[in-house]
Amino acid sequence: MPAKRVLIVDDEESIQTVVQFGIQMVADWSVLIASSGTQGIATALAERPDVILLDVMMPDMDGIATFKALQALPETAEIPVIFLTAKAQTSERRQFNDLGVSGVITKPFNSLDLPDQITKMLDW
Amino acid sequence: MKILLVEDDEVLIAVLTRHLTAQHFTVDVVKDGEMGWTYGSTFEYDLIVLDIVLPKLDGIRLCQRFRAEAYTTPILLLTSQNATTAKVSGLDAGADDYVVKPVDIPELIARIRALLRRSQVNSLPLLAWGELLLNPSTCEVSYNSHPLTLTNKEYELLELMLRDSQHLLSADEILDRLWSSDEFPSEATVRSHIRRLRHKLVSAGAPPDFIATVHGRGYCLKLQDSQLGCQTDLEPQLEPLNSPSAGSSDLDSEQQAQYLTFLNQLWITSKPRNLELLGTLFHFLKALQSGTFNHQVDRLQPQAQQTAHKLVGTLGTLGLTIEMQLARQVESLIGSNPPLSVQQIVILEALLIALEQAIQNTNSIERAPVNANSIDRSISVSAPDRSRIGTKVMIVDDDIECLRSMPQLLKPWGFKVTTLADPLEFWTVLQAMLPDVLVLDVNMPQINGFELCQALRNNLTWRRLPVLFLSAIADPNTQNLAFSFGADDYLCKPVVGVDLANRILNRLQRMSTWVE
Repeated sequence: MPAKRVLIVDDEESIQTVVQFGIQMVADWSVLIASSGTQGIATALAERPDVILLDVMMPDMDGIATFKALQALPETAEIPVIFLTAKAQTSERRQFNDLGVSGVITKPFNSLDLPDQITKMLDW
Repeated sequence: MKILLVEDDEVLIAVLTRHLTAQHFTVDVVKDGEMGWTYGSTFEYDLIVLDIVLPKLDGIRLCQRFRAEAYTTPILLLTSQNATTAKVSGLDAGADDYVVKPVDIPELIARIRALLRRSQVNSLPLLAWGELLLNPSTCEVSYNSHPLTLTNKEYELLELMLRDSQHLLSADEILDRLWSSDEFPSEATVRSHIRRLRHKLVSAGAPPDFIATVHGRGYCLKLQDSQLGCQTDLEPQLEPLNSPSAGSSDLDSEQQAQYLTFLNQLWITSKPRNLELLGTLFHFLKALQSGTFNHQVDRLQPQAQQTAHKLVGTLGTLGLTIEMQLARQVESLIGSNPPLSVQQIVILEALLIALEQAIQNTNSIERAPVNANSIDRSISVSAPDRSRIGTKVMIVDDDIECLRSMPQLLKPWGFKVTTLADPLEFWTVLQAMLPDVLVLDVNMPQINGFELCQALRNNLTWRRLPVLFLSAIADPNTQNLAFSFGADDYLCKPVVGVDLANRILNRLQRMSTWVE
């Protein structure tokens, strides 16, 4: 599995930690962390990660607004985004797909499975 | 659970006894305060419901007497006086709660359940033991997702053992707690109920010693290997993914063990944060209970829902399945159509208390979570009942998204699903498909679900077709209306495949029992 750089944007510290632990343990990819949409955009601009895992429900700037902002910036528009959400309703998944996200991972998840899930979603 | 009702109004006695019995409570009724004292001090009850105005000894004085004699049984007062003084003197006399007459039965029963939960060691709204789940709110019992059909006594027996799972229950104790004082069953009766219950559990896949006999002493639930976390048996069934090089699905046990150690360390630091999040939900509850600041409730609602949502994701990802399920119930309740009814507020309080206790009492995580998608998949592997494969399910709903998802959701159970978006074509499709079960939405253009259901019930050919409603409308009035039009069941959207499939199977099972 080639080395990749993953940005996790989630306001819950425990989720950030779980994602970082699982990904590094299984795939040894590097994990960048942001706690808000604004911080996520700034990190994406500065670091250009290979994929962004984006929590949907965050205070201030939610995942959908963050995703749209990332799409609007030429520097980040091409970075694939995978939503993290505790909701898995079909209508919402469809809404996410219509937005153009690369995938949706539903909470709860076992972060040891994340590298494999991401690899499949992005055809890496 | 055994309740003592001290009430002198015959009509209210009849109504309350009927509803409480339907909820699997055993009820003793006495009609004056002195008899209330005699029964309450002689027999063991889980709860006492007391009217305030009673012959011989009034409810307040009876309540004081129980408390003065150190009886701690929860007491709920029925008062016809809505004055604060009556409520205050009742609570000061040692009552735990009160309900004002005329009694709203669903509210009274919800309050009884909440009081009983508070007095139990196990105060979760859902009772679980290994793969066994019992939901006291709906009286549904399942083992490893297989619904169990139990008689009243079998249900009560199982609930008693689940609530008191730390103790060995002697036959005498079971007799005292489950049979009313005017019945005279013997130990042999308990034995035969246990035998039948065991048989049903085994048929659903439980081990024969799920209820263990300790000779000469009594019965208890035996600790199962799969005791901690309802996903235990599902894990070996997870489909291996195709990329062994990634190693992520065929993770060796050492990695899983390390992951679990990590989750446990993380829980130490994240527990206070989760309790803090819960604090904002209690704040919202307070605003709801104060009832007067609607604008404040409106302001806090989105934040509360978001917080509950966060808790679902975080607790689940940490491997705390029961806590996640509770948080999910909280989220769905807060997200239901405002304003929340008194009953919903009572349920919300009970859920939050249960969630708080569950988080407080969790000092270690026993099992790492299984991916949400994998859970769906693994349940679907284990769930199909071969005899039901090919069951024809017809779904009528104008929500195209919902219709699209249904065949996929129900596919693992082997149902043949036909969907219909236009209710005007209902009879044509019905005759052509001849379904075994019908699932109806409530609100649809031209003809609504109630009208269709009523028409079916008036039709000689179709009157016995099982009808389940599936709707986004969650308020009890609409649900009651559905039942009055002849519905067999009512589910609220969003629904997960396993729930809908279980309800369908349940309905078919009851139908076949009825036909036999």
